Amino acid sequence: MTPPPSETRGRMTLTPGDDALALSGAIDEGAALHELLSRARDGRLVLDLAAVTFINSLGVRDWIRMQAAAQQAGLTVELRRVSEPVVHQLNMIIAARGAAKVASFYAPYACDACGREESLLVDAVLHHELLARLEPPPMTCPECSAQMAFNDFPERYFSFLSV
Amino acid sequence: MGEPSILIIHPDRKTQRTVQRILGSTGYRIDIADLAEQGIRLIEHLSPVLVVVDGSLPERDAAALFAAAKARGTEACMTLFGARAQAAVPAILGLGAVTNLLVHPMPALAEELTITAQKLIRGDLFGVEKYLLWGNDLEETVLVRGSQRAELVAQLADRVRARGQSARIASMAMLVTDELISNAIHNAPVDAAGVHYRRDLPRDGELLLDERHQVRLRWGCDARFLAVEVTDRFGSLDRETILNALARHDVRESGGGAGMGLALTYGSCDHLIFNLAPGTRTEVIALIDIRHPPNERTVASSYNVFVEKPRAPTP
Repeated sequence: MTPPPSETRGRMTLTPGDDALALSGAIDEGAALHELLSRARDGRLVLDLAAVTFINSLGVRDWIRMQAAAQQAGLTVELRRVSEPVVHQLNMIIAARGAAKVASFYAPYACDACGREESLLVDAVLHHELLARLEPPPMTCPECSAQMAFNDFPERYFSFLSV
Repeated sequence: MGEPSILIIHPDRKTQRTVQRILGSTGYRIDIADLAEQGIRLIEHLSPVLVVVDGSLPERDAAALFAAAKARGTEACMTLFGARAQAAVPAILGLGAVTNLLVHPMPALAEELTITAQKLIRGDLFGVEKYLLWGNDLEETVLVRGSQRAELVAQLADRVRARGQSARIASMAMLVTDELISNAIHNAPVDAAGVHYRRDLPRDGELLLDERHQVRLRWGCDARFLAVEVTDRFGSLDRETILNALARHDVRESGGGAGMGLALTYGSCDHLIFNLAPGTRTEVIALIDIRHPPNERTVASSYNVFVEKPRAPTP
């Protein structure tokens, strides 16, 4: 479980995996997201967003169009390992959520004991019930093994899950 | 009209006293009203230089106060306690009249309120320095090509990280800087007929920026804020456009279109300040609070829309 890289901004790149298409870098004016649709398999477009480091308003606009086109084409979109910058945008712009299913996402945690801050992967399927109650899943500090605290407002950070 | 004064309209006595102490530092006489009706009478009678309205007042009362202030040519500012902010901000933005909103976890309002009051009273609006502690150096770049935006944003993020800030703060800084520069390059340029002639140009193509079209980025960081300032030389952004754009952030249903960049910027910083000199320049400042962890910050963000008043002709 490697946390996503933090803030570097490079052009978006695509890496096909066994099951998912991994996006990395910046989703911005140069992203051309509509091209993703041709990569769908068996009616599913599975995107791994762990390495998406940045998404601006032009990228959000493109993302909304891509989601709408996928819906129109009858494709199911599944998002895996959604990075924090993408979660923030999905929380701010409801239309950006589309009909995508979120399998997992990164969320901010902080350790009161040692002060470490970490972006940790949350399994949205496994923790479905907790998340529906806006309760952050418990996490252990990778440095000192103490219980970590969720480092945002749950009602704000998890709102993108309530489409 | 007697001695220049500031009028505070707040129903809570303890908060009245706190705000009175803060604004008393300006040297102006402070008058206080508990209720909107009383406040409106005092606005008409005293013509204060500034009215400070509490956000807990019913929407109708707040709207009436802002209208009364506007009719007298008085500047007005609304303060809002953090715990109520998330629910209240959409309604406040919906009024379309509140040009200064300070969301605050009491009692940490002093600096923001004092700066807002001083800017409104003195008419000295420009410069990010007003929001940073003394002694901080600002980094400055003038963009002469559109393609510099991506490079600069990436550099800024690296430097923010090098100053010990978290990846999250760097990510917020990247977004607000990118959006503000993009607005300044593509949306600000306007011709004599009011046409925004660069709005529809592809954002990924190269664009050379002559002196008139150059955009200035300045940023700095103290123990309170990471501050980003972006300035264009057109001054085409107006109050109504700004308030509409900020309101869209809370509607959140609209998706794309013009103004989404400003809405995202507002949602990604803690305080967004617009300094407008119509026809001359627009300066936008985004403040990101670095004092508190995300779960201790206010849920909603503050904003100011300051407009430079035309100078009276010298006799």
